[in-house]
Amino acid sequence: MTPERFHTIVEAYGADPRRWPEQERADAQAWAAAHRAEADAVLAESAAIDAWLARDQVAPPARELQRRIVESAPVRRPSWFRQHVWWSGAAIAGVGLTGGLAGALAVSFFVLTGAASSMHEPSVHESSYLTTGFGGSPDDWSDE
Amino acid sequence: MSEQDPDAELVARVGAQDPVAVRTLVARKLPRLLALATRMLGDRMEAEDVAQEAFVRIWKQAPRWREGEAKFDTWLHRVALNLCYDRLRGQREEPVAELPDEADPAASPDVRIENEARDARIREALSALPARQREALVLNYYQELSNVDAAALMGITVDALESLLARARRNLRTQLAGIGPGEDKS
Repeated sequence: MTPERFHTIVEAYGADPRRWPEQERADAQAWAAAHRAEADAVLAESAAIDAWLARDQVAPPARELQRRIVESAPVRRPSWFRQHVWWSGAAIAGVGLTGGLAGALAVSFFVLTGAASSMHEPSVHESSYLTTGFGGSPDDWSDE
Repeated sequence: MSEQDPDAELVARVGAQDPVAVRTLVARKLPRLLALATRMLGDRMEAEDVAQEAFVRIWKQAPRWREGEAKFDTWLHRVALNLCYDRLRGQREEPVAELPDEADPAASPDVRIENEARDARIREALSALPARQREALVLNYYQELSNVDAAALMGITVDALESLLARARRNLRTQLAGIGPGEDKS
């Protein structure tokens, strides 16, 4: 370690040896210990700038910014969510299918029961109920 | 590269769209990224835009990330610096210092005003540095990158980096002459 190199290190990296290049740190500290007065003058000047630099603090990111960034990422849904969606879809399809079948069954039931009952009791759809007052038999006019 | 990348496993999980990994990566990288951009641009809102844009680049790059080509953190710094320089070129003027952070309610008004004035002074001094000097100082001092990593990131030699750092410190000393850094009394 030369005096020039020690000066260069301190002027570039500051007075804190932890910030000095790792491969030169031990040599620079040894040089400073051996040349206390000269080293202290250089270190003191640089320590003042270090103190200024240390004052500059940046506020941590706001939660809202973190949330926006996380939400901008393409993410795969967790397995429980995929299963939930699958089961929900299957359930909706199942309900629809069941409803369809029930409807078809009901229609079939009424058709069959209607046909059977018409053999024993008057049907509301008897032909006389379906004709109008002007739909009488042509025999009505035979007396003329 | 023989040194293992500490972020490689996490980035691989982000590439596989693991939501836990996404949150972990944001928590790990966002504060450093925001600090870098804030100091480079001197503007908090612009820095937040840069941070968001940098993460969009991460989401695109993560599925294709290959360990060994470059450290993820170094690549991320390069992305953020490029985004900062795009904005600095767009401004075509020196960035302005950001407003002081919210005051500490526990400090007395006089102490608070004094602290705020000193904080604003160092920000102005940093903002007034030539961009390359500020970049060298931010990467080496604040981001705590090694001299080799910072020089590689800037595309210069370690000697050139040391020259930039020394000039940055001399400029700061000139700007801040006659004003003590004081103690943070808040």
